[in-house]
Amino acid sequence: MTEIETVPPAERTRGEGIAARVLRIALTERIVLLAVLLVVVVVWFRVLGAGGYLVAPYDLRYLGNALESMVPFALLAIAELFVIVSGRGGIDLSVGAIVSLAGMVFGFMVGVWEWPLLPSIVGCIVVGALLGAVNGALVAYLRFPALIATLATYYAYSSLALISNANAPISTPPVVALHSLTRNIQLPLLPPIPTHVFTIMIPCVVLAWVVVSRSTYGRALYAVGTNDVAAEYATQPVARTRFTAFVISGLLSGVVAVVTVAQFASARPDAGIVGNGMALPAITVAVLGGVAIQGGIGRVGGVVVAALLITWLNAGMLLAFPEGAEGSRYQLLALGLVLVLSALLNTFALRRYGRLA
Amino acid sequence: MTTTTEAVTAPARRRPRVRAIEGQELALIAVVGALWVVLSIVTDTFLTTGNLQNILFTVAPIALIGIGMTAVIVTAGIDVSVGSQAAVVMVIVALLARDAGLPFLPTVAVAVVIGLVLGAINGLLVAFGGIHPIIVTFGTLNIYRFVALQIFGNEQVAGVPATLAPIGGGAEGRILGVPTAWWITLVLAAAMWCYMRYWATGRHLYAVGGDPFAARLAGVRVRRRQISAYVLTGACVGLAACILIGSGGLVQQNVGTGLELRVIAAVVIGGTSIIGGRGTVLGTLLGALLVGTVSSAVTLLSWPSELTQLFIGLFILVAVGVDLLRERRRSAR
Repeated sequence: MTEIETVPPAERTRGEGIAARVLRIALTERIVLLAVLLVVVVVWFRVLGAGGYLVAPYDLRYLGNALESMVPFALLAIAELFVIVSGRGGIDLSVGAIVSLAGMVFGFMVGVWEWPLLPSIVGCIVVGALLGAVNGALVAYLRFPALIATLATYYAYSSLALISNANAPISTPPVVALHSLTRNIQLPLLPPIPTHVFTIMIPCVVLAWVVVSRSTYGRALYAVGTNDVAAEYATQPVARTRFTAFVISGLLSGVVAVVTVAQFASARPDAGIVGNGMALPAITVAVLGGVAIQGGIGRVGGVVVAALLITWLNAGMLLAFPEGAEGSRYQLLALGLVLVLSALLNTFALRRYGRLA
Repeated sequence: MTTTTEAVTAPARRRPRVRAIEGQELALIAVVGALWVVLSIVTDTFLTTGNLQNILFTVAPIALIGIGMTAVIVTAGIDVSVGSQAAVVMVIVALLARDAGLPFLPTVAVAVVIGLVLGAINGLLVAFGGIHPIIVTFGTLNIYRFVALQIFGNEQVAGVPATLAPIGGGAEGRILGVPTAWWITLVLAAAMWCYMRYWATGRHLYAVGGDPFAARLAGVRVRRRQISAYVLTGACVGLAACILIGSGGLVQQNVGTGLELRVIAAVVIGGTSIIGGRGTVLGTLLGALLVGTVSSAVTLLSWPSELTQLFIGLFILVAVGVDLLRERRRSAR
């Protein structure tokens, strides 16, 4: 519990050498550090591939294909960004459970009630937003600690998802047909890339960036997250801002539910909660992307680059450790180490420079 | 002049009324009691020795880890890595019991020591890393799971001998008809209850959770208390892992997944505040008992077992909601 030094950054940066300046920029501009790490990871696996240590080439085609698993990572990490930035211990453990439950509802709408595609997608996203609104109401208006409220709803939602179809997936022909949403497309100058990267992920990311960085709501979000008492006196709607953050988190989880169902060609009741679930990797990516768990700090750009870094790191490890479950095992190690080290880095940067990008 | 009168009246006013059993715990006892009465009327299988022994045995590991977790949460921390810790301990202990033929006591000792080490890593990172406990333990959750899977080496451990049967779920794991695991839990919980209530360092745990800066100014060794809470949790996990292996058989690669959520649920239902500074081990014990009773009830009434989670979620909301209401009334007064 050491106090943060309060020397103004301008005084500390005066008269520093080039090496010190590079270090400062790498530590305080998170996106620069992540970009460097991204290049290191790609070059490292290219070298390993050239040396014959990988079972398949780590080339552009493979990297393009791997983007498929980036979509849920990136969207849920942005969902966590909204909630964590909103402050007062904000965190959303229930995103994976929302993906499961909204995905099951989507499965029913498309596969059992045979609604047309567009209303079903909208319906799924609305369900996600409603489930997020329950979290938001509990946290923002009833003032439950976010960790506890979303732990409880994690239980409730995943239970409902499992019960909804007696623990069985929905994979009727209309659901299977959804898989075409995620097939690869060939664009000029680019390797084949899954369609939903362009149709879903990029629009969502741009929209999230606009909301966070260019809207009144975004300003209110950072104000509330930094100091909600001060925000209250500055006439910001504290409770409503925090509530909306959870609604957006649920909404993005609804989008991920659509993607996941299409990707698996099946609405699985345990899609977002199997193993460690989806919430944990999402929180990891958000923290790696520079979101500070205390709230009020974090950028969409950093989170997206972090998602890309983790995706390509994971993809490379699957090639480096092909035996059985070895690849996914090393992915766990990497995820854990990266999370702890990036958090240590955040602390270090905060102590040394008094700020964090 | 006003200062003197305040000085005279202050001690009498400031002395807190610490009751042995708090309101929330009484309510929990009532709820668990009511559930037991209803269940023994509705089903004829609930109030049988076998079923009650079964409930107590399945609740024991959760309550046991809950003892440590209560201390962690009281210091305003959290440990979500206990499931992975349990996996590490279980695979090592299972292999030692099977391949090295280790007898009972050394096996338990090894388990507790491994737990201590894993807990100490968490504690050091929380105390000296300046990282939020949930981030630390999310990280170590992954890392410990990797360690466990690496030791498993792509296959589950089959044919584990009955070395740990004295604290297992079988007939030899009972004293006076009650599972030995439950006796251990009770004794440790009682010790911890006294420690947190009467020992200076035990009271310091609450001080750390209430306000770490104020606690440090008051002379509390904040970091030492934080580390001790995580180390204690690790040791509890070590013991609980032995109970989970019990009479041996098969140890699978996914052991312990989701254990952390059940433990945290028990602690929170027991009235411990997640913000820190408030909570008792007695409450945790009752919370674990409630969770165990509910999951047993769902099975006996032959409802879908997934319904248990829904009930746990609702219980968490009710318990924390009631607590928030009481807190609001207290601060309004």
